[in-house]
Amino acid sequence: MTTDTTTQGSTPGATAPGQLVLDARGVTMRFGGLTAVRNVDLTVNSGEIVGLIGPNGAGKTTFFNCLTGLYIPTEGEVRYKGDVLPPKSFKVTAAGIARTFQNIRLFANMTVLENVLVGRHTRTKEGFWSAVLRGPGFHRAEKASRERAMELLEFIGLEAKAEHLARNLPYGEQRKLEIARALASEPGLLLLDEPTAGMNPQETRATEELVFAIRDMGIAILVIEHDMRFIFNLCDRVAVLVQGEKLVEGDSATVQGDERVIAAYLGEPFEGAPGAEEAAEVDAAEAHSDTTTDAAPGKENDR
Amino acid sequence: MTTQTTAPETPDTPAVAPQSGLIGIPPNIARVLTTAGAVLTVISTFMSWTWTSDFPGDLTVYGYPGGLQILVLIGGALTTLFALAAHGVKGLRHTVPAGGYAALRFAALATFATAWYTVIAISDELGGVVNLDPGAFIVAIGSLAALVGALALPFEKPAPDPIDPDDTSWEQFKNTASHKWETVKAAFAAGSPRPVGPLPSYVEILVIVAVMALSLLVFTYGIGTQYDELFIGFLITAGFGFAALNKAGLVAQATQITGRHQNITVCGAFVAAALFPFTQTDDQYATIGVYILIFATVALGLNIVVGLAGLLDLGYVAFLGVGAYAAALVSGSPSSPFDVHFPFWAAALVGAAASLVFGVLIGAPTLRLRGDYLAIVTLGFGEIFRITANNLDGTSGPDLTNGSNGISSIPDLKILGWNLGAPHDVFGFTIGRFANYFLLMLIITAIVVLVFRRSGDSRIGRAWVAIREDETAALAMGINGFRVKLIAFAVGASLAGLAGTVQAHVTYTVTPEQYQFAGPIPPNSAFLLAAVVLGGMGTIGGPLIGASLLYLIPNKLQFLGNYQLFAFGVALILLMRFRPEGLVANRRRQLEFHEEAEAPTVLSKTGA
Amino acid sequence: MNELPQQLVNGLLLGSMYGLVAIGYTMVYGIVQLINFAHGEIFMTGAFGALTIYLYVLPDGTSMVIALPLMLIGAIVVAVAVAVGAERFAYRPLRSAPRLAPLITAIGLSLALQQAVWAWYPNAKSSITFPQIDGGPFHIGSVTIQTGDIFLVIAAPISMAVLAYFVMKTRTGRGMQATAQDPDTAKLMGINTDRIIVMAFALGATFAAIGGVAYGLKYGEVNFKMGFLLGLKAFTAAVLGGIGNIYGAMIGGVVLGVAETLASAYISNIPGMEQFGSQSWADVWAFVLLILVLLLRPQGLLGERVADRA
Repeated sequence: MTTDTTTQGSTPGATAPGQLVLDARGVTMRFGGLTAVRNVDLTVNSGEIVGLIGPNGAGKTTFFNCLTGLYIPTEGEVRYKGDVLPPKSFKVTAAGIARTFQNIRLFANMTVLENVLVGRHTRTKEGFWSAVLRGPGFHRAEKASRERAMELLEFIGLEAKAEHLARNLPYGEQRKLEIARALASEPGLLLLDEPTAGMNPQETRATEELVFAIRDMGIAILVIEHDMRFIFNLCDRVAVLVQGEKLVEGDSATVQGDERVIAAYLGEPFEGAPGAEEAAEVDAAEAHSDTTTDAAPGKENDR
Repeated sequence: MTTQTTAPETPDTPAVAPQSGLIGIPPNIARVLTTAGAVLTVISTFMSWTWTSDFPGDLTVYGYPGGLQILVLIGGALTTLFALAAHGVKGLRHTVPAGGYAALRFAALATFATAWYTVIAISDELGGVVNLDPGAFIVAIGSLAALVGALALPFEKPAPDPIDPDDTSWEQFKNTASHKWETVKAAFAAGSPRPVGPLPSYVEILVIVAVMALSLLVFTYGIGTQYDELFIGFLITAGFGFAALNKAGLVAQATQITGRHQNITVCGAFVAAALFPFTQTDDQYATIGVYILIFATVALGLNIVVGLAGLLDLGYVAFLGVGAYAAALVSGSPSSPFDVHFPFWAAALVGAAASLVFGVLIGAPTLRLRGDYLAIVTLGFGEIFRITANNLDGTSGPDLTNGSNGISSIPDLKILGWNLGAPHDVFGFTIGRFANYFLLMLIITAIVVLVFRRSGDSRIGRAWVAIREDETAALAMGINGFRVKLIAFAVGASLAGLAGTVQAHVTYTVTPEQYQFAGPIPPNSAFLLAAVVLGGMGTIGGPLIGASLLYLIPNKLQFLGNYQLFAFGVALILLMRFRPEGLVANRRRQLEFHEEAEAPTVLSKTGA
Repeated sequence: MNELPQQLVNGLLLGSMYGLVAIGYTMVYGIVQLINFAHGEIFMTGAFGALTIYLYVLPDGTSMVIALPLMLIGAIVVAVAVAVGAERFAYRPLRSAPRLAPLITAIGLSLALQQAVWAWYPNAKSSITFPQIDGGPFHIGSVTIQTGDIFLVIAAPISMAVLAYFVMKTRTGRGMQATAQDPDTAKLMGINTDRIIVMAFALGATFAAIGGVAYGLKYGEVNFKMGFLLGLKAFTAAVLGGIGNIYGAMIGGVVLGVAETLASAYISNIPGMEQFGSQSWADVWAFVLLILVLLLRPQGLLGERVADRA
């Protein structure tokens, strides 16, 4: 699961491994009478990939929004590299936290390259006057931005489609582009909101590799996901959020074995539920009938 | 038991729609009909169409086409050209790089519409069909034949939707009607043209020059039309003619070539515009030219605000007014309460700065809020500016602006010793007062175009488009939405103020009535918005063309009078419904408005 | 006549007229986030509808006691027809278009309606006299109420009460609240959002029509431009009270009316501001109030109620 770390530390925004990057304490988010997130603590260290799972409506995206300045927590505080998060989302990005969105929010009618260039906005400073006067500083900065953007596109494998419109990309590539756009702001922490939603197993595997590569660049990562195999392959630690509260946190074995987590996802076992023996009987019966049935779907059974 | 392996055939769906024309004439005959009709039309323009010269343009002479006949002649010639290309005459294939017959249909339509308009106008104004000479009948028949032939040529018809038996008869009727309309539209649609192969540079530059010259010619002709009928005929011919060239693929090819030499094109356009006053013998058209330029420049400024950043500003003309008043107040006019006379550069700075200040004052509280509030606040500001200027007349308020009489007798500008109020002799050409101001305004327009292009293609420009596309995502990318919007707003305001400085001097007088939200005379906020929207938001050429059209149409067609505002309102509604991206479509915007449209894989450099 | 109670009553009456028009703005904005620029013109067509009944339908000399209810019906019919037509043909096709498109359409519609009346309504090139209620002004204590305003005194509270009942107690009313809060979920709950939207336009137009009749009675004349500035102020009132909030619309209207009246009456008493108190500055003060509200409390007095479209 671990890959080599030769590129670590050379990426801007990256930190040496082991340092505390994100420190969320007692984060509570209330909307009127509804408490969406209740007293959640979470830390992420550099060089880590932390997962955040939980049933739908558990408050994961709300929690993310608290981490990116979209919402200001009703209680508790969030610190990034020791400093409290600024209250505006664009300042949070400038501070070093970048994110992707659950529903892809690319700039659909801009090209792939332009999307990544917009991601560079916060790390460049050429303003209106610079654009109009076009001094040597402007040209240098534009060139540097474009080079960096192309590097990122190469990193995700989309450099050939740099001039294509974002809306024309297939779904999987759009997700990758969103990630590249987020990386363009040189974050120390990357928040991924369901990055493999709607992907087939191949694409999911490719995304895993991509996330590892990002980790190796020295960027800490926090991932929300529903695909369990993806999460447990990827993450060093997993936190489980249920109805706004953090239920348990730990490595994959701890979390998978925890009864409360199972209950939250699958429900409590009911009275008269089939035990292990009965389940084995049913399995055997099914295995036997499998060998005699025509397996073609949709075809009416002639017998 | 049987199993069905294929989907049941819907009884009403034909397998493949066969290629055929809109009218049922065999293609060979249709081709000949079209060509013959076109040639006949051309010939008829040399004939007399009416016996009396009461109808303007003198259509009574054999051998010399006049007035509307010239327009029909051009239309007919174009149709003949495309018709011959349809026959497959060698060498003419290049005139229709897109293939198909859409260009021919539009050309035939242009000719038909202009010819029949003329014939009907003659009959209507002179009181009866008896007033038509044989030539008129020939052109009527010829142009009709050309059109019928063109429509009969084959094209690929869209397959109709299968009929859903559950639909009510009204819905079925709607379906068939819309299918018929789709078919007609398909007749006039064209495929994409072949890209132009690389040509030697000098050839491409020659092409650009030719395009410039043609545009200048058309524009000058349009300005110079003397009477309503000719202007209407001009609009018809130019409109459909341009559509024909567009469908032929020539426009796309020209755009490609100009795209390869963008800087030369833009410079060339300005040179051509600068030459315009030299082509005139008097100041008459320069006057119109100046006003169009002022209008167009302000529209370009609004284009930054509305077109690039997506901020709806409904009181934009107030910024023009602020600049104009500021310049007027420091111009040394006797009705100004301030007894100062600033040189032009200082007055320009004052005008731009004053507008900038007001822009920031208005923008700062409002741009933080939801975008719709900006519309209302700017609308309010526009009205307040007018009311305030009206009220500061000494009775209702301190006498700053001389109330409803405004500041008059504004002296002419003197720049570097050149008195813009007096005619000068340059290279043997006389440049009158308005021509002087035209050239000055041209420089300012050039500055505005420069600012627009450069800021659009930069970090701030991308930020504007990002904010417009998806503000939440843009914020997440670290863009300070408020600041970026304020910059757009402030830039737009300053540019309007700058234009206002010149306007004050051109019109001698500034009064509050000149700066309304809507009124019959441009510029006003409604007109400006319409110019930007009609022309095409986010493009450079768009507002320029939009402004030209919207200035000329009320100017030339005086009979429209105050109905033009009504036509305006209706035009805005229809535009937003059917072609919100405007005339000069920025491809990107077109995609924004038509989400389901096929997007090209690659946007060319200009976003076109 | 310059005493405070009189000014307050004047402001109250003016404000309730603003409020009636503001209801239409706020209802439509709350549900579809569209500033219906044409709403001022709907107000105007309502007034003209009433006028038409009086001038062309009823026999000359009909007493206002009989005529007024009929004029009111005429006003409502015309205004609702225009509003529903606008929604169906101009706004509905643009529901999913980028924000700018319906806004520009609304401006175009506003212009077209104004100019249509100017061009084709007989004698509309200048103001037309609106019939008045006979009788002298009423006196209550030291306060005088003109006959023209009597209608408003009765109509405004009744309208608000009916509206409140409708929104809170009827199914359609609750459906409107639901659609205002979350249109997608409302659809999933089986609410026909299209019909709700039409209802919102129609209701808003009804109240605007009542306001139009009130205007005509109050000022004695109507003209094709009457909707423009008043519409602007009415939208200000809606923002002031909290956009999307129906009660806010009326409250905002009253606050605006009172502020405007008091400013016109008393600002000239402030040293240094003598010249700014006249009627010609009233509109400016209304606008200044708008800016202040946006600066200090952008969600309005009673808070916004707008569906989150993000």
